[in-house]
Amino acid sequence: MSANIEKMYYAYSANEDIKAKGEYGGVVTTIMKYLLESGTVDAVVGVEEGHDLYDGVPCLVTEPEDIMKTAGSIHCGTLNLAKFVYKYLDGCRDMKVAVSCKPCDAMTIRELIKRGKIIGDNIILIGVNCGGTLPPVPTMNMIKEVYELDPKDVVKEEISKGKLIMETADGEEKGFGIEDLEEDGMGRRENCQRCNLKIPSNADLALGNWGVIGPLAGKATFVEVFTDKGSEILADVIDAGLIEVDEPIEKGIKIRENINNFMLKQAQAKKDVDYAGTTGDIIDVFHMYDEEFSKCMKCYGCREACPLCFCEDCCLEAEGPEWVPGGYTPAAPFFHLTRMVHMVDACTNCGQCSDVCPCEIPVAKVWSTVNNKVREVYGYIPGFDSDDRIPFTEHISKAKKL
Amino acid sequence: MVEIKYVPSICPYCGTGCGINFVVKDGKIIGVEPYKRHPVNEGKVCPKGNFGYQFINREDRLTTPLIKENGEFREASWDEALDLVANKLKEVSDEDPNKVGFYACARSPNENIYITQKLARVACGTQNVDHCARICHGPTVAGLANTFGSGAMTNGFDSIKEADYIFCIGSNNMEAHPLFGRKMIQAKQNGAKLVVLDPRFTPTAKIADEYVQFETGTDVALMNAMIKVIIDEGLQDEEFIHYRTKGFEEMKEVVQKYDLEMASEITGIKPEVIRKLAIDYASADKAAIVYSLGITEHSHGADNVMSTANLAMLTGNIGKQGTGVNPLRGQNNVQGACDMGALPSDYVGYRKVKDPETTAWFNDYYSGYGYEVNLPTTPGLTLVEMMNAAHAGDLKVLYIHGEDPVLSDADVQHTKEALENLEMLVVQECFLTDTAQCADVVLPAAGWGEQEGTFTSGERRVQCLHKAQEPPEGAWLDWKIMEEIAVRMGVPRELFHYESAEEIFEEIRECAPIMAGMDRKRLDTPEALHWPCPSEDDPCQPLMHKVTFAHPDGLGVFQALEHKGPVETTDDEYPLLLTTTRILFHYHAAMTIRCETLNNEVKTGFIEINTKDAEARGIINGEVVRAFSRRGEIAIPARVTDDIREGIVNIPMHFVECAANVLTNSDSFDPKSKMVELKACAIEVEKLPEKLEMKGEVYKDGTDTEIKAENMSTTTVKVGK
Repeated sequence: MSANIEKMYYAYSANEDIKAKGEYGGVVTTIMKYLLESGTVDAVVGVEEGHDLYDGVPCLVTEPEDIMKTAGSIHCGTLNLAKFVYKYLDGCRDMKVAVSCKPCDAMTIRELIKRGKIIGDNIILIGVNCGGTLPPVPTMNMIKEVYELDPKDVVKEEISKGKLIMETADGEEKGFGIEDLEEDGMGRRENCQRCNLKIPSNADLALGNWGVIGPLAGKATFVEVFTDKGSEILADVIDAGLIEVDEPIEKGIKIRENINNFMLKQAQAKKDVDYAGTTGDIIDVFHMYDEEFSKCMKCYGCREACPLCFCEDCCLEAEGPEWVPGGYTPAAPFFHLTRMVHMVDACTNCGQCSDVCPCEIPVAKVWSTVNNKVREVYGYIPGFDSDDRIPFTEHISKAKKL
Repeated sequence: MVEIKYVPSICPYCGTGCGINFVVKDGKIIGVEPYKRHPVNEGKVCPKGNFGYQFINREDRLTTPLIKENGEFREASWDEALDLVANKLKEVSDEDPNKVGFYACARSPNENIYITQKLARVACGTQNVDHCARICHGPTVAGLANTFGSGAMTNGFDSIKEADYIFCIGSNNMEAHPLFGRKMIQAKQNGAKLVVLDPRFTPTAKIADEYVQFETGTDVALMNAMIKVIIDEGLQDEEFIHYRTKGFEEMKEVVQKYDLEMASEITGIKPEVIRKLAIDYASADKAAIVYSLGITEHSHGADNVMSTANLAMLTGNIGKQGTGVNPLRGQNNVQGACDMGALPSDYVGYRKVKDPETTAWFNDYYSGYGYEVNLPTTPGLTLVEMMNAAHAGDLKVLYIHGEDPVLSDADVQHTKEALENLEMLVVQECFLTDTAQCADVVLPAAGWGEQEGTFTSGERRVQCLHKAQEPPEGAWLDWKIMEEIAVRMGVPRELFHYESAEEIFEEIRECAPIMAGMDRKRLDTPEALHWPCPSEDDPCQPLMHKVTFAHPDGLGVFQALEHKGPVETTDDEYPLLLTTTRILFHYHAAMTIRCETLNNEVKTGFIEINTKDAEARGIINGEVVRAFSRRGEIAIPARVTDDIREGIVNIPMHFVECAANVLTNSDSFDPKSKMVELKACAIEVEKLPEKLEMKGEVYKDGTDTEIKAENMSTTTVKVGK
């Protein structure tokens, strides 16, 4: 490895094909291809286009020549790949994997590593900045009804200067204020509106177009290095001549920071609204959402989707618990209380539970409200590579190690 | 290196038609994941959607044909089994085509169903082909055809989100069609008022704004009284009635005697509540009716259905978003089974057997390569009639494609006797179901996830399925099995040979004008296409009856209907009225009891009984009791609850060890739709002399489970007859 890898770069692929299909210089695709070719990893977990750009599908790529199917972005990438890695790849026990991560993917993967469900040494987190994701079907409806465009014609969506902009193949651009859209129940997923990690500083590398200005604007990616592992990978890719790098423009760095700060401020405002009216204490929150929970049809969807719900033998399904009797709907409130005590100390607000709830219960909001209280009381911030005590999972010991 | 892919598919349980993604690892289905791009359910599913795949790779899948000899099954080669079936079908249908019958499978893709009815009609020359819609939404097909000219749901599912007022009667969709239930929740969030009418305080009733409990089987009296109030108050839509309908005066005359007092007496609903329901429904800008089997599964099911149609036409609540008559179809593809002509009176696309020109068209279309088809213009036997004919010795061969009538038809004893009486029962199945156990020949078939094809949901949305894994070795595609049988019966292979399911679909398009415009490119998308879809440039949107109804003159027809009530009424000996229902976690059992998570949730059946009725009999919650009717008796755990009306008891129909249909009545026919009365029969419940437990093994390892009450034979005992 060459020495002196800087913390930040403008970067773009040296491969013309990748540059053409990938976004902003195709650096993620180039890195992934390199990791496969060099044998650094056995497989890459990414997202490919299913039926169309609104249909993001997780995919496992093991051959470098197949990497192109993960290139480019998907309109509505609402997946959480942590569960995919844990559930279908056995937590990469027997294989080395690189995952393209939004901040919430990275957060949940970090939590699963701490719990021994994903083997940290076997996983590389290639992070991508994320200002929030859009739910596919409501977004298509919004494009039809509000933007008056055919969803098929939209090639790109972007949040810029407070507007959600849709761009069509023939270059037409239409934008509406994201705050107004979201007030009317459209726009980003609710959890994304609350999210306070936009640049995945918990991944090995974080990539994104924010702050790329000057001659490379639109053609390069802003790369930030967060770990030694990330530094090593980046050095190797540069050394191999696969990507070109440039020093970032100072003003660009500032712009990136401003974008991030603006979004974090918005997220805080959303949280203030969402957490209002409750102390955040469990009983108080449960009482507040009593009526919402009374709709629960006990589909177990939240359990299935929650990346932090990972017991092989779930106690909610066991013969024992007569406090959540089998076959009764709506499910006893204990169903959610039980699930909550198992995951809420580390809830990353990834939103998967709300995405799958057939009863329109704002579950992610509820857990996020309680988790916020946990953060206040215990100071534990889920989703980062730290040795901090996980509040309800571990005890502290005051014994002095001499 | 491991290979993982997602294969989008459609859930095989209820008629909502939710999309799911199969997770396929190294060629085997190992799970499902949300399909958020799917327009119907947006990645959300019910428990069956989450766990209903678990049966697929179970060890007890059938993989070898079985032939029964001296009461025992032995394994047989495909050649032997196919020859045996083909020879018998040929022998009997040559003698008299009316002596063979076919049940098509409403859970199977359209292409399989189409080939089933083709095998019946083309190879055997019989019109005796039907399926379980007969005892589910048969009255919808008949009732809405009489009134609107088309027997299907009038609006798409999403339409309900635009309603201002939802009149939901006899539909517990939060359990039976859960992702439609979600759309009602969304409608409420949009400001709609939801009113649920049901003898039980169901999970659906619990999310309502208003709940009205009423007596089982009194729907016509209720709706006639509502119609009278609406007319008396002048709230009817005169313009709609004048320009779009006929028969109003006759109906108006009949409803005159249904005043509030009389209706209240019959239904058990307070007069002022009936009045309020009528006024609220008629005054809403957009009012939608939602119903399901609570309306249809009666001996007057078609009348109930037509009452809902009367209400909608009276108030002009049809042909617009947010309105309509919205029957929620049962199985994933029961709509398709009707569309495909698995009906003794209809060919594919609801073309009529009775019409000589149509039958001549099909005779001509299906003949060729030196083979002559000569179908009669007399409709064949319905499902219930076939079973009765078998019982009487008038039907000799019954070919059951994937249905389980021993569990699902009324009066299990009667069904078993009828099947016993056949010269040959052929069952084409994935598992050795209770019906398959009665068979002479069992043919192992490919199942869900293992084939291409299409399902048609309750909103007439025809959706493509894709193969996610190979069937287990030895199990064949249904249409391939039937091709081989037809050929062995002497039909030229050219008439039954297809290279793919898609090729079968192309034939369906040629025969069914309502599906003629369904080209593959538009069909194989998440949005798919709704019928009617007459041409490739038709938008094929779900809303029907916008300008005209589907009758030749374009007019909707009011029907004058009288209240009849259940055929079997309660008396001193059998003082409780039994209704049969479904629960969220199971679907006709054979598949769902083989799904570990669903089976963990609910392992066996129960009888819901009102707290007061239980108290009077000294019954406590959870104890195993004896339930008996004029047909038979079962031992079953009691679920004591205030959620059911006094005098009414309820048994979910899924569980063979305490099968509701041991008790139900197969003699009580709806003359208009041939429905049997599955929602009402007189029974009694009593405490058992000594404590019994339902003993069962949990499905954990693919071995069979037997749950039954100790020392209690549950399906064979006859009492009181």
